Amino acid sequence: MTLTRRSAKAFALLLVVTAAPLLAQDGQWLMYSGTYSSHRFSPLKQITTDNVAKLRPAWVYQPPGTGSVESTPVVANGVMYVTSGPTMVAALDLKSGKSLWEWTRPIAPSVLNLGFPRVNRGVAILDNMIYVGSLDGYLFALDARSGIERWSVHVGENPTGHSITAAPLVVDDKVIVGISGGEAGIRGFLDAYDAKTGKPVWRFYTIPSPGEPGSEGWPGDSWVHGGGATWLTGSYDPALKLLYWGTGNPGPDWNGDSRKGDNLYTSSLVAIDVETGKPRWHFQFTPHDVHDWDANQIPVLVDTQVGGRARALVVMANRNGFYYALDRKTGEFVFGAPYAKQTWARGLDERGRPIEIPGMEPSEKGTLVYPSLQGSTNWASPSYSPATDMLYVPVREMGSIYYKTGVEYKPGTYYTGGSEKRLDEESWGAVRALDVKTGKQAWDFRLPTPTWAGVMATAGGLVFSGSNEGNFFALDAKSGKPLWQFQTGGPIRSGPMSYLAGDKQYVAVAGGHALFVFALDQS
Amino acid sequence: MRRRLRVLVHSGCLTLLLPLTAFAQTRPAAQSGPTELAAGQRIFDAQCAWCHGNGGDGGAGPNLHGKLLHATTTSSIVDIINKGIPGTDMPSFRLTERETRQTATYVMSLSRTAARPHSGNAERGAAVYQSNGCGSCHVVEGRGGILGPELTSIGGRRGAVYLRDALVKPAAAHPPGYLVVRAVPASGTEVRGIRVNEDVFWIHIRDASGAVHTLQKSELARLDRELDASLMPSYETRLSSAQLDDLIAYLATLRGAK
Repeated sequence: MTLTRRSAKAFALLLVVTAAPLLAQDGQWLMYSGTYSSHRFSPLKQITTDNVAKLRPAWVYQPPGTGSVESTPVVANGVMYVTSGPTMVAALDLKSGKSLWEWTRPIAPSVLNLGFPRVNRGVAILDNMIYVGSLDGYLFALDARSGIERWSVHVGENPTGHSITAAPLVVDDKVIVGISGGEAGIRGFLDAYDAKTGKPVWRFYTIPSPGEPGSEGWPGDSWVHGGGATWLTGSYDPALKLLYWGTGNPGPDWNGDSRKGDNLYTSSLVAIDVETGKPRWHFQFTPHDVHDWDANQIPVLVDTQVGGRARALVVMANRNGFYYALDRKTGEFVFGAPYAKQTWARGLDERGRPIEIPGMEPSEKGTLVYPSLQGSTNWASPSYSPATDMLYVPVREMGSIYYKTGVEYKPGTYYTGGSEKRLDEESWGAVRALDVKTGKQAWDFRLPTPTWAGVMATAGGLVFSGSNEGNFFALDAKSGKPLWQFQTGGPIRSGPMSYLAGDKQYVAVAGGHALFVFALDQS
Repeated sequence: MRRRLRVLVHSGCLTLLLPLTAFAQTRPAAQSGPTELAAGQRIFDAQCAWCHGNGGDGGAGPNLHGKLLHATTTSSIVDIINKGIPGTDMPSFRLTERETRQTATYVMSLSRTAARPHSGNAERGAAVYQSNGCGSCHVVEGRGGILGPELTSIGGRRGAVYLRDALVKPAAAHPPGYLVVRAVPASGTEVRGIRVNEDVFWIHIRDASGAVHTLQKSELARLDRELDASLMPSYETRLSSAQLDDLIAYLATLRGAK
């Protein structure tokens, strides 16, 4: 089916309530995380634990340029839309991989990317429009049939470090887009634009101005450069009309002297009314963060039983090493537990606030803390399987020596106040299966180095993910046993997805500078 | 702390500032106040000494006494601290302008101080290198074996302290890319050697004879990473103290192909 504005609302509801049968019939992948619930779960089940060994490359697409491809493709109306860095979009034929059109935003070498690579992680789609952010801070609407620009809007000033790398999210008639720049001392925000015209609808600043709730945690004018970037796509609950969006670190990253206080709404999850852009609730994972533990992970909306009670949850394996389950209507902390090695907190109190161990903040001489600056997990997507009730998390097991230095704000430069030295030699990675009801580990599939690859579970009983070493692989969702692998020849820093073309299931993942698409060998 | 630490993003040796230590002249310290110098030293001790050694005497990164290869002025050192040195393991640092200048001033003051001269004799050291068969595992200017790291420019990249450690306790100083692993197949012969490459499912090991073994991890009964091992023997007792000094003096002269 085609996602139209008229049907989007009803469709969104259907996606949440009956996503599996609808998409199984349909075989599309309509947004960055697959659905508004961000399960990154494919209901397709042609490829199973029994036949995955016959999975073979069907085609490879190499975008122009030499940038790393970190995009999750969107598949709609029989076409795939994939992006590459710094800012380009390609429309590809689903079966042959040949491009129907390519659109490139010229990005000068002088365009800033402070704190992240020159990448783009995907598009959003509504009707015949494709929406993509640019490294220099614009949002573009392209005609899905031709790649011709319909409108563009200036979202953030690049000379002060604003960029867009995340895929936008379409809700009803709005395009929601987040901003990068948390290392450059921006004041973070989330924007909504009219999908048809590009007219601004609302802006939610993640850092309150004086007098607003939360401003008491920002002494003086520290809020002006308070960070809280929104650099990864969020989730949406159509029944509650709430967006769930993670926010990044406060600025400066590692020197918190000028911002004593909790620094809301940084390193938090914020539930935002999609109509008004007003926050309905927030939950701060890392109050007064001084380790750069952005909460820019994918919030996963899960309906499950906790303690014998049906709960509508939003769960997140956070960069700070803890797994959290929150009530997605109220933000109430339901439970939390560490899921990776961490040495900075004794645990969480009854409201989910960390019980911090003194002396773990960065220092002039250096402080050893687990996890590292890049966290126990990062932007790579987890996946939730309703079949196993497990959350599959890409995990990074690594510590760092954190340094604190002086800091001063200069527009368009790093505003961080420190650095790290990583404990590379003893680090490793994993795809880790957590029981979504308890956060307890069900199995662990070990990787040589801390991973940047997203995860996709499928109704075929599989979990797909990748490695820095180029492996794209499938695991048994129940046991974590490896069943198939393919060496792509480049690090995988993207999330897998799956779609139907005709009646055939394909699996796609970006690795290195290319997009790889696989299907079962029918011979 | 026993664990080995590596500089962020980059691993391995640094080639920041290559000093020509042997002929450097002692000059007055930088014309900056003692407070600025002390502040620069504090930052250096915390963030630079990991690689450049305490007091800039060199370590995994080069000695900073004497003439610097990549910088001649304080402002060029500032530039290097801000941007790193592309193509080397010298990363960029995010300090304030003032801190960067303080650190650069301190580094400049180091470069104006002559390095402690090597007590050994480089010519005799070259003979020690030959007679002990170092070239069977190491390449210098295109000649030698491939088991160990190339040494053509080792004197420019490593300080004397590191070079001595590498000879006396090679296991504690082995460079990245030379991890020793031991693989025990479920059936077949054990393979021990240098890890050439590894992904999730495969590992490639070069044994002491130079042969490369391609092994599927699922067929191994054990795979041990010997973080504290090296294929190079210790020369602590194989060489006299004077021979060690001579060998270090020779290695310090190796600064790239002529």
